[in-house]
Amino acid sequence: MDAQAAKRQIAEYCRKRGALAVGVAELAACERIAPPGHRPSDLFARVKSVISIGVGGQTQGAWQLPAKAMAYSGSTETRAYGIAYGLAFHLEQAFGAPSVYVPPDLDPEGGPRVPLQSLKLHAELAGIGARSLAGDILLHPEFGFMYYASVFTELELPADAPLAENPCPAPSCVAMYRQIGKTPCMKFCPAQCLSGEIDAQGSQKLMRYDMAACAEFTQEYEAVPKILAEAVQDEVRTRGAEGLLDPDRKMLWYKVSAGSGAWFAQCFECMRVCPIATQAPQADPILRNKKT
Amino acid sequence: MARGLSRAQLGVTDAMLATFGEAVFRMSHNLQVREGDPIRRLDWPEIDRQREAMGLADGQIAARIGLTREQVMFIRNYEESRRFKTGQTAYLLDLGGGRRYRQERVIPLEQRPGYSEDALRLRAALRFDPERARLYAERGWWADDTLTGWIAKHAAESGGDVAVIFANEKISWRDLQDRSLKFAEGLHRAGVARGDVVAVQLPNTLEFIVAFLGICRLGAVMCTLHMPYRGAEIEALMRHSRARLAVCLPASKELFGGSGRTFEELDCDTPLSRDVPGPVAADPFLLLYTSGTTASPKGVPLNYHTMLSNARLGVPEHRLTAADRVLSAAPFTHLFGLYALHCAWSGGAASVLLPAFKPDDLALVVEKQRPTALWTAPAHIAACRAMGLFDKHDWSSLRLSIMSGSACPPQLVKFFAEKAKNCAVTQLWGMTEMQAGLYTRPGDAPEVHANTAGRPSPGTEIRIVENELQVRGCLLFPGYFDNEEANAAAFTADGWFRTGDLAAIDAAGNVAITGRSKDVINRGGVKFNPRDVEDLLAVHPKILMAAIVPMPDPVLGEKACLFAVTKENQNVSLEELVQYLLEKQIAKNKLPERLVVVPEMPLTPTRKIIKGRLKIPS
Repeated sequence: MDAQAAKRQIAEYCRKRGALAVGVAELAACERIAPPGHRPSDLFARVKSVISIGVGGQTQGAWQLPAKAMAYSGSTETRAYGIAYGLAFHLEQAFGAPSVYVPPDLDPEGGPRVPLQSLKLHAELAGIGARSLAGDILLHPEFGFMYYASVFTELELPADAPLAENPCPAPSCVAMYRQIGKTPCMKFCPAQCLSGEIDAQGSQKLMRYDMAACAEFTQEYEAVPKILAEAVQDEVRTRGAEGLLDPDRKMLWYKVSAGSGAWFAQCFECMRVCPIATQAPQADPILRNKKT
Repeated sequence: MARGLSRAQLGVTDAMLATFGEAVFRMSHNLQVREGDPIRRLDWPEIDRQREAMGLADGQIAARIGLTREQVMFIRNYEESRRFKTGQTAYLLDLGGGRRYRQERVIPLEQRPGYSEDALRLRAALRFDPERARLYAERGWWADDTLTGWIAKHAAESGGDVAVIFANEKISWRDLQDRSLKFAEGLHRAGVARGDVVAVQLPNTLEFIVAFLGICRLGAVMCTLHMPYRGAEIEALMRHSRARLAVCLPASKELFGGSGRTFEELDCDTPLSRDVPGPVAADPFLLLYTSGTTASPKGVPLNYHTMLSNARLGVPEHRLTAADRVLSAAPFTHLFGLYALHCAWSGGAASVLLPAFKPDDLALVVEKQRPTALWTAPAHIAACRAMGLFDKHDWSSLRLSIMSGSACPPQLVKFFAEKAKNCAVTQLWGMTEMQAGLYTRPGDAPEVHANTAGRPSPGTEIRIVENELQVRGCLLFPGYFDNEEANAAAFTADGWFRTGDLAAIDAAGNVAITGRSKDVINRGGVKFNPRDVEDLLAVHPKILMAAIVPMPDPVLGEKACLFAVTKENQNVSLEELVQYLLEKQIAKNKLPERLVVVPEMPLTPTRKIIKGRLKIPS
């Protein structure tokens, strides 16, 4: 089977299992942009291709949920992971090419805010998402807000190009920016972590993302040790509690916090007000169903 | 640790953290800036130029500023932990479900209102038996009743109906709610917060009602001060209650030092914001004081559960409806007077106001405003009888009268019932600690009304132990505020309240109050402990020993009689001693009204005066 046919077959495999978008990122670009330690080859030395899969995000109903429930009902990333996991086996069985489902997890060396790989970078280079003003969350002109998963394979596949156009900002967002200097995501972000500029052509000129402020709101990985420290009347900033919070142990707390359900992966407020995330033609599962 | 290495192994010092913390934090992913769309465009010069602005990995930062990667890992994680506050997810709890973030509405968590130490102290006094609390909740006696909720309900359902009648003014429920919200805003601006105590010394006026409801809307607690109270009493009660301020008449402001505010000073043009949370039924809303004042203040903290369940359950027993007009001759500074308001507001009845009792004024208000229900003390009726007012005025609008406050002579009940033909003249026995404990019901036999205080109110249990009436139930206060000594004496081991009143119960369950074991004087329904007066007299230059005991009075029930032993046969007159006490700012109602000079006092072995042996000469 030639590479193009293999690529079509892979895309078909993924779409049958619920993927909305499938693309192949240019490996060299991934290697050049990702920092050392987080390049595809750092994880899978003989990687030849980076396949990115996107699945649909929230249902239309989920956008109406209270913020505290969005993180649970709004996330479909496990569906993307399931498809990628199966695809890795499929690549090995159908093509005899060693493959790996890229763990969407964090790098235990770096603490709970550093991923092993940037699935965002893979998807962007594979042409199934473009960086938005909402903290670089990827958006797709047809599918809106998606969750992504990646597969590394020794099978050599032709790469796709990044999206030709960035759907962000939407025309309505540009209009709002012209009036008040903010897009909806900037205005309604509860952490006020987003700011930026739109140029005269209505394109992104500048994106500023205070990830620290965002994380403070939505990722309480340190809650457990800080509570412990406070419980023993210690100050978090002193040596006494420092041992609870060093990078190695913080991964444990991350797991504990994630498992406890006592934190938010993200608050979704920027996506809740994003016209692309909620109203792109294929982002709405109800409309998507009608079209098919 | 980082990669299993300790801080010492990594060589990270406090100096290194202080030096590089800011740089590492800023160069990392924590702050990201992107110009244009370079990655999507694969614009390599721009990607390289913006790499640092878009956030560097730990290894890249290490190479950039000359640290090891592990040192950067440690420093970055340390900085993140140091900077990130926990609990921030709380801000998200008000979002979604149609609500969006609005910067102007966000109040930082640490600036959101809480309870002061004084407020928490008072709230801590509301400790009920958990088993009893469960029972009262299960039976529906304790429900989510608040005065704010009741007024809002009437304003919503019958907002145009009359809520208050005061002189020539008629106030609707909607207007009453609006006024109370504006007064609440005034209190808010004056620094009063949820749980704070606000003293009120006002007559039975619209201002009292608006102030009361405003205090309640704010979640604060009203402490009433009887109108005759002056310097010594005010100072003691303001101190014990820890009142934030006092609402008083202009003429009384100076008595409160800097704490006094007139109603007009606190009233406001704008209503309290809806964002200010209202009270719930478990909140305290009254802190009332029993007869003890300067000697040993007995503060009675009362929550909505106890008082409003008692009123709500009482309204059908008194056969009150929304069509009634309730007039209280008793002062609102007294719980009996407040019970009139609570019942009216529970049933949706209008309140007719009489600012201060005078026999003529009461008769005129009844004749003119035609109330259907009258809250009154026996002394009020006796005074009207003495002036022949029942024959001079029209009392025919009354169909219910509740008499309470002191022992009620049977002939007075019968007299009133004869004069007010269509009126059920009932008796009620209550205390500051419980509001309405016993009452006769309309429809009871005349003898029951005349000779007994009736049967327990719904949700109330009674028992008589060694002739003493003991009470428990959903109406009962949890204990005196900040007075463990009084609490120890007031409750039995099994949780019954010792009323101090002597009682007998008949076969039909009607209770007759036969006497009082407490050492207080009940002058026209206003009880007081004479100890502070005795203490002042004890230091008078002509007095050796002094004791004040009640003496019977046909109008007021009781008056104070002073027994005194003078020094070295000195002559002393009642007028002289009264003038002395007035100069000491003792309230007029507590002044002795008879002087009996005796050569010596009956004393216990520890030289305490045995008051029971003091016999008043005929």
